Amino acid sequence: MAFSKNRILKIAAVVLRVALGVIFIYAGYVKLSEPWQLFAAGIADYEVVPMWAAKFLAHVLPWFEVLIGLLLIAGRWFRTATVSTSLLLLVFFSLMVRAFAGGKEINCGCFGPNELISWKTLVRDGSMLAASLFLTVIAFRNRRKPA
Amino acid sequence: MKILALVLAALLPCLAAGPDVDKGRTMGDPAAPMLFELYSDFGCPACKNLHENVLPSIIRDFVATGKAYLVFREFPLNIPAHVHSRPAAAIAVAAARIGKYQTVSDALFRSQQSWSTSGKVWESVAGALTPEEQKKVQALAKDPAVLADVQRDVDRGARVPINQTPTLLITYKLKQQPWANFTDYSLFRGYIDGLLKK
Repeated sequence: MAFSKNRILKIAAVVLRVALGVIFIYAGYVKLSEPWQLFAAGIADYEVVPMWAAKFLAHVLPWFEVLIGLLLIAGRWFRTATVSTSLLLLVFFSLMVRAFAGGKEINCGCFGPNELISWKTLVRDGSMLAASLFLTVIAFRNRRKPA
Repeated sequence: MKILALVLAALLPCLAAGPDVDKGRTMGDPAAPMLFELYSDFGCPACKNLHENVLPSIIRDFVATGKAYLVFREFPLNIPAHVHSRPAAAIAVAAARIGKYQTVSDALFRSQQSWSTSGKVWESVAGALTPEEQKKVQALAKDPAVLADVQRDVDRGARVPINQTPTLLITYKLKQQPWANFTDYSLFRGYIDGLLKK
């Protein structure tokens, strides 16, 4: 029974890892395929960082998302990748909740421009965060008890 | 077939933009490669800021140079704080019929704080017009056709959808992109310059 539970967890971890990896690569690709100014304006709309930081993030973040996606799919540096993913999603999700609760009708900026923050985007990003936290737990659990 | 349908769907808003433009509310060369549609609310402080501080740069860099054709669209927000925005938009559209849109727009934004609280919209802009123009604009502002023009802009904006004011809807090579962040003009300029180079 314990073996089958471990096996299920292992399969779930692989599926979630690859799914999150693909989603992150896609998110990065969509941003890189559009002019960076659109993403910078989207970041600035959250009114959390100054414009120079928004411009910097607009250049760096999409590449970071692609890198994280590749690491997740490859299963390399698993703990680093899952912690980075969880932290990133935690920041994204918190900012989205803050904007939504404040009644701001701004773009999510998750997968390129023109997608307003809504219950749908919150549920989607919340689910991704939950999946990432699950993977982080698995990554550190495996460290203590190597399979 | 699916591709054809997608192309047609993308073309529709551009085709609709052509004949439905009130010449009195436009600026620049209609044959310019880029179309700017500025959705604005006369009662919105961010729109006042755009009109007074950013729009002159946009006109100088892109409209006067023949790169973009600018169309002013009315988008009075349907919220209690902006209850006088729709009458203000009607006056502006009426003024456009006699070629005085910019004069009245300037006056509306300049006196925004006054009329948006007092509700005395007409009194705030009348001084910008001659007595003869005043008579014409006052009559036109009640014309159902003018009120319908305002509503048409609102409906058009809702279809985009326009989520905030001011929003500049950029149409270039059959692609539409709303732009609403004007805190850093260089960002907007860089974006448009980049598009024009494509």
